[in-house]
Amino acid sequence: MLPTVDAGDPVRRGGERRGGFMPDLLTELFQNPLEPGYADAARRRAERAARADHAEPPRRTLSLPRLLTLLVSAGIGFLLVVAYQHVIADEPARTRARDGLIDQINDRRATTDALRRRADQLRDQVTRQRDAALDDRAAARLRDLEATTGLGRVTGDGVVVRIGDAPRPVDAVTGQGSGNDLGRVLDRDLQQIANALWRAGAEAIAINGQRLISTSTIRAAGDAILVDFRPLTGPYEVSAIGPDDMEKRFVSSSTARTFRQLVDAFGMSFEVHKRDDLSLPAASEPQLRYARPLRSPSPSPTTVTPTEGGR
Amino acid sequence: MIAVLALALGVVLGVVLDPSVPVGLQPYLPIAVVAALDAVFGGIRAKLDGIFDDKQFVVSFISNVLVAALIVYLGDQLGVGGQLSTGVVVVLGVRIFGNVAGIRRHLFRA
Repeated sequence: MLPTVDAGDPVRRGGERRGGFMPDLLTELFQNPLEPGYADAARRRAERAARADHAEPPRRTLSLPRLLTLLVSAGIGFLLVVAYQHVIADEPARTRARDGLIDQINDRRATTDALRRRADQLRDQVTRQRDAALDDRAAARLRDLEATTGLGRVTGDGVVVRIGDAPRPVDAVTGQGSGNDLGRVLDRDLQQIANALWRAGAEAIAINGQRLISTSTIRAAGDAILVDFRPLTGPYEVSAIGPDDMEKRFVSSSTARTFRQLVDAFGMSFEVHKRDDLSLPAASEPQLRYARPLRSPSPSPTTVTPTEGGR
Repeated sequence: MIAVLALALGVVLGVVLDPSVPVGLQPYLPIAVVAALDAVFGGIRAKLDGIFDDKQFVVSFISNVLVAALIVYLGDQLGVGGQLSTGVVVVLGVRIFGNVAGIRRHLFRA
């Protein structure tokens, strides 16, 4: 017996059933969304009525199938409500969890800030006590060293570089912010600015009030920029104390040129201002984990070299 | 229409009793709702066509829900639960659309 080859005939498909071939599933689905059982039942009823030869009185009593229908209807209403309430109940749980996490983050951040303030106070106290204990010359030398290494507060004239994200491009279709946002300030940008400022002769740099020292890090974690593991938010302000011609040198540097191009291309904001009497905070104490200071005073040059260069 | 009253009664019961869904049944809830909607729209259309049948309605609802739940359950066991859920929703969704189109033709003659 030869296999029938017309099973896949597009004309035949979806047409009348014959030879045991069903029309394919999707066509059937689109053409007859109603359960065929309804038509069958109606036909059976008509046949029964024809056989009985007289119209049977319409059933008004609650027969078993009718009762079941009502039960099922009630069940469906019940189901709809349950599903609705389930979805509604789920939503606040999700937002609650999120809010809880945000609260925790803010809490921890507040704790960190408080501890940091306390550490700064204690450090001030230590410095005062130390200054009292040391003679003037040694204390002055220590202060100089601290200023150079970034462990002491410094003030002076300098430059403030402000850089900010471009306004987020808005997708014209969805009205949402679109995915690839090229106008964002990256950790690399801040690194380049800081390095260019060092090169232009800066003696102390702080980003949004975070003092940079030799072990400082500028990194990205997700969307946030971390300086020494503290998240910063834009616009970013890089303040630097340095010589008078620092602004000119920075503005004419290749980094500044690059950023001016970025401003033109992506609409980021980038401003360089000269500012007098900048005051930069001290960096948090770097923790020595492996190195240990020597007990005996090391042979060091007797004269304190003025703080210039040497980075 | 007494079935509509029963539906409303079910809604009221659901609001009043405020039942909680067992965790094990939660994945099947959306599927069950879609299957129920399919049965409801099928029933309404049959009613408008004048061929509504109680037994057919009850059986189609129960079998719809059971088969949909079974498919999703099997899918979960096989690791393709999401895809099979999508399949069930598509199939039932197409039927709902077709039946609503039929109802619309009855009501608006368009």
